[in-house]
Amino acid sequence: MQAKAKLYPKEAAKLLREKPGVREAVTGATLHFEEGRKKAYGEIDAEAFRERAKRVKDHLLTHLDHYLELAEKRLRENGVQVHWAEDPLDAHRILREVVARHGVKRAVKAKSMLTEELGVNPLLQSLGVEVLETDLGEYLIQLLGEPPSHIVGPAIHLALSDIQRLFHQRFGTPLNASPEALAAVARKVLRDAFLTAELGISGANFLVAETGTLVLMENEGNIRLSTSLPKVHVAFVGIEKLLPRLADLALFLPLTARAATGQRLSTYVSLIQGPAKEGEEGPEEVHVVLVDHGRTTLLHDPEAWEVLRCLRCGACLNACPVYRQTGGHPYGYVYSGPIGAVLDPGLLGLEEAYPLPYASTLCGACYEACPVKIPIPKLLLTWRKRAVERGLAPIWERGAIQALAKVMESPTLYRLFSKALRGLPLPQHLLPLLRAWTEGRGPLKPSPRPFHELWKELEAEDGR
Amino acid sequence: MDARTRILSRIGHALKERPKALLPEHPHAPPSANPLDLFLKRLAENGAEGHLLGEERARKLLGELSQGLPGAAYGRGVPASFRLLPELPPEEAPLGVSWALFAVAETGTVALSSEDGRRAQLLPPVHLVLVEEGRVYPSLLEALLDLKALPSALGLHSGPSKSADIGQVMVKGVHGPGRLVVAVLQGSW
Ligand code: SF4
Repeated sequence: MQAKAKLYPKEAAKLLREKPGVREAVTGATLHFEEGRKKAYGEIDAEAFRERAKRVKDHLLTHLDHYLELAEKRLRENGVQVHWAEDPLDAHRILREVVARHGVKRAVKAKSMLTEELGVNPLLQSLGVEVLETDLGEYLIQLLGEPPSHIVGPAIHLALSDIQRLFHQRFGTPLNASPEALAAVARKVLRDAFLTAELGISGANFLVAETGTLVLMENEGNIRLSTSLPKVHVAFVGIEKLLPRLADLALFLPLTARAATGQRLSTYVSLIQGPAKEGEEGPEEVHVVLVDHGRTTLLHDPEAWEVLRCLRCGACLNACPVYRQTGGHPYGYVYSGPIGAVLDPGLLGLEEAYPLPYASTLCGACYEACPVKIPIPKLLLTWRKRAVERGLAPIWERGAIQALAKVMESPTLYRLFSKALRGLPLPQHLLPLLRAWTEGRGPLKPSPRPFHELWKELEAEDGR
Repeated sequence: MDARTRILSRIGHALKERPKALLPEHPHAPPSANPLDLFLKRLAENGAEGHLLGEERARKLLGELSQGLPGAAYGRGVPASFRLLPELPPEEAPLGVSWALFAVAETGTVALSSEDGRRAQLLPPVHLVLVEEGRVYPSLLEALLDLKALPSALGLHSGPSKSADIGQVMVKGVHGPGRLVVAVLQGSW
């Protein structure tokens, strides 16, 4: 995907001006998700779960070469064809070869952020393959020609009336058709696609190294169908998606579901071991493409490597008062919200994404939501500092960052400052990005916990 | 050098100075009172229907579900005594009947193996899953630790297919079955 993260401030202001409905739709949806997550975290010892998950992922990442080689070995033993891709070009070559060998005319696709990174859909279209997104939300935005605006709910920026209008134009449904009726229309179109497509494409939530098992979570059944009906299944897997042991899923599946949607487990989990055995239903061929695309560069980064723990649950987006104003589109890349703000500069290079780390009030809500305890606020400051050092930050930000740094350096000043902040609207002069957005709106709500408390916790994490 | 070698060597380089993190042990599964009660409760909370039944009553339940239907699609493991209706291809069948490999109480989940089939689990609008009571694990951890061999694909189903992608309104039966009925069979099979 072509990144436009540099244009973030302009795009954000433009969206707020031109599409005021987006703010309402995104706020409603994210608050709903956030409420579900809080309730679901409340049922368990969330702190213990998050800490354990963080440790498992840290172990995995600090032994990544070992686990990748183990996963590759197991996958091959299971009859899966394993490929390695450094960049989109590698991925395209692998896919082109599969398409040619099987004469693929139609492909069904299960929602995957990585395939957005790699530009899988445009490639398939250029090869004359009809490709259908099968996640309902993803299907909607494919019809509109838009990129996803949320990791988990790609179409949360659309109101019911937007979708009613879209389906009216496309399928002639009445303008007041119910969500059930609209879903039934999509189901019919996509059911036909599942039954006729030669190729199913997916990402993966996890890849278990010990057993070579691909793991995918969803609620609709489209992933199970996409990976079961077509004769070929190609899964694109980021190299950071591995888990050491099968039983680690007992921690990660429920924790991810709780963080993402407030469920105890997603409705469907697919554990895929390989192609169908003799006489069984299922794909004849399963391919796994292990993708780097900037991840090894991040792994090398002494601070930012921690973002590789990310499970793509979207909880930090739902918790973020800044993301809530616009949804994901203005961020200009596949990953938006707090995780996008710390991941995109690493994946794209800071030059391409330097405004994103400023799209935050540093309120710390993202950290508290994150199931793998990624210190997002700390990393936002890391990227801001680097941007200033490289002369990338806009002039106003250089002043602001220096002022902020001064405040942060003095504990007394900082405590005073943050106390004052909690009772007051956020420091709009430190956050010029927000100024355009907050005009005529109520002040953003500061986090109930002061940032220096969170900061202490983050520092303590660091020391372990 | 190929992509694999380059990626692995960059990882090795990146990790050279990084302290290695230890892998935590799995936690101990908490003792559970009655997994069957919990299982039925969780199924209901997930929007599925669960019943604990002897063979006779299970056949009666199947009879009720079958009323007025021309046929059903069956998983390979479904015993002949539960094949009340003529067999139809899953694409056409209004009912799918499967035999689960195991179930998990804490999440309200049935585990369906590709050895039993796939289409009958996914295509019909109503899905009846049969599972032996002895195969209901209290927790997901216990189930996974006990899993010796994995089939080509294992589907964990914890309720009816659903989506809230259209205007945040929950719709059932989007792609998979909109109705999931689980019969926990008493006794041994
Ligand atoms: S950073 Fe944490 S909260 Fe955000 S998507 Fe990743 S795992 Fe989820």
